[in-house]
Amino acid sequence: MDPLLYIFDLIVYIGIFGIVALSLNLEFGFTGLANFGKVAFFLAGAYTYALLSQIGIPFYLCLIAGALVSAVFGLLVSLPALRLRADYLAIVVLTFGEILRLIVKSEDWIAGGDWGISVSRAISLVGASPRVNALVNIGLVYLCLLVCFLLVQLLTNSPYGRVIRAIREDEIAAEALGKNRAKYKAQIFMLGSAMAGVAGGLYAQYLQCILPGMFMPMVTFTVWIMVLLGGPANNKGVLVGAMLIEVFDRGANIAKDYLILPVDPSNLQYILFGALIILVLFYRPQGLLKESSVKTKALELARYERSAAKSKGS
Amino acid sequence: MEVNWAQVLFNSAITGSFYLLGAVGLTLTYGLSNFPNFAHAELITLGAFIGYLLTEQLGLSLPIAFVVSFLCTGLVGFLCYRGIFQPLAKRGATIIHLMVTSIALGFILRHSIGAIWSWEPVYFTATWSAFDVGRLRVTALWIWLIVTALSLALIMHFLLVRTKIGKAIRATSSNPELALASGINTDRVIWITWFIGAGLAAIAGIFRGADTQIWPMTGWDVILPMFAVAILGGIGNFYGAIAAAFIIGLAENVGVVGLTMLGLSTTYRIGIAFLILIITLIVRPQGLAMLFRRA
Repeated sequence: MDPLLYIFDLIVYIGIFGIVALSLNLEFGFTGLANFGKVAFFLAGAYTYALLSQIGIPFYLCLIAGALVSAVFGLLVSLPALRLRADYLAIVVLTFGEILRLIVKSEDWIAGGDWGISVSRAISLVGASPRVNALVNIGLVYLCLLVCFLLVQLLTNSPYGRVIRAIREDEIAAEALGKNRAKYKAQIFMLGSAMAGVAGGLYAQYLQCILPGMFMPMVTFTVWIMVLLGGPANNKGVLVGAMLIEVFDRGANIAKDYLILPVDPSNLQYILFGALIILVLFYRPQGLLKESSVKTKALELARYERSAAKSKGS
Repeated sequence: MEVNWAQVLFNSAITGSFYLLGAVGLTLTYGLSNFPNFAHAELITLGAFIGYLLTEQLGLSLPIAFVVSFLCTGLVGFLCYRGIFQPLAKRGATIIHLMVTSIALGFILRHSIGAIWSWEPVYFTATWSAFDVGRLRVTALWIWLIVTALSLALIMHFLLVRTKIGKAIRATSSNPELALASGINTDRVIWITWFIGAGLAAIAGIFRGADTQIWPMTGWDVILPMFAVAILGGIGNFYGAIAAAFIIGLAENVGVVGLTMLGLSTTYRIGIAFLILIITLIVRPQGLAMLFRRA
């Protein structure tokens, strides 16, 4: 295979899963919501994109529709569990993901059941080489990633971001200060699901074919590893995490062909992923990059005054 | 379509007994350690594979397989808690961290099982005599499953009510600080609960294997209804779990009849447990607890 194309492919994957990791970071890192069914919203976005693009709707509308469908699903699923402890939400969303996958798998009329459905490219240039197509995809995916990154970054450094961090630290204290925690959690869950939906749409059009087997619970936990490894509540950290995990995944795939191991490499890879999570939680629960303090005008002013005082004193 | 309701009720008892065996450990450890152990699924699978190893690969009899698998899987369950969850909780891990860890542990166990026994489904070759009682189709295995589940439930009941360790489990479950202050070694109580819970999961796993087939996903395929059992019964509530296991068993089997009538795939039976889970969370998030004496 063309090595350059392989690298482009890796870059696209990092971008797509970077978006999902950012969305999980918004939910788990900043708000403390345990979304164990991320893949459900990824799936919803991908299938919405696939079904709408088949009837000739332009790609940007398909992506937006995927985001909306995922957001609505996110709201419906999370509502019964949002007022309860984090574990209830985790169980509900995890089950929902399994059921959603079962539905697209059993109902052939929706999207071809087990055989999947083919999806057309978002932007197809006439007579373009695979490399050019990959570059176009990189442009599209990273544009979406940039929008998501800026959105999460601005949101979490705003007063709104301080509220959701407060909810993560102490729900009852936040509620006592008059913040409706269920409302904030529902909004964050919807936004996170919408971002996962966009990523799902991008994934579908990039692979040009989607199958129910691509949306196993493992996808959710790959994203969890990215967030936990990179650093929860640090947006740059989770992108670093996404990059490391994707590179590791590729590396393991390449190594498979050259190494002779007593253990089946695909089993070994999952065992290593599991061990990695446990090691990170044991020895570096804050991830590679720590949570940065909130940027506020007051802090900036204080820093400015401190440095001004220092320069005056010298 | 004519429905054989006697068979539906009997099947509900089978499903309920299976969920009961699997969910008791889940709900008790959930209540004591305050997090849902997703790796419980893999303890079911592991128990089934140890049973398979002993009966099919080493040629031992099934009763021995039950006992050995109970002990081995119980030990694994204990080690998981002692070696991973407990130190992590002592380092101040949040409930979300513990849940993620349990999933990670589940991956490690599942793929280790896959590496040892392969991902091809395997069968127990023992055959079970089937006979008809009226319009009811019964096999000896199913009778054994129901009898085992009910007698183990009875033993657990006496353990919890009559013995010192059972009283300590109940005390720790309802108020850990007070139990500790009263001189109960709460750590040991939690260890014993993890051991027993994992052992019971192993028994559920062997029954599953003897009835159908097993592969590394066996536990994962049945864990979600068991979570519904734990939540419907009230987390940590033993008697609630018994009632919930049979309620969900009944709902699933009646639901399957309904699905067939509607012409839908019966793979949606997991959706029935999910529906009950959602309704429980909306209407009564504490589950059936308080209807029963807390265990």
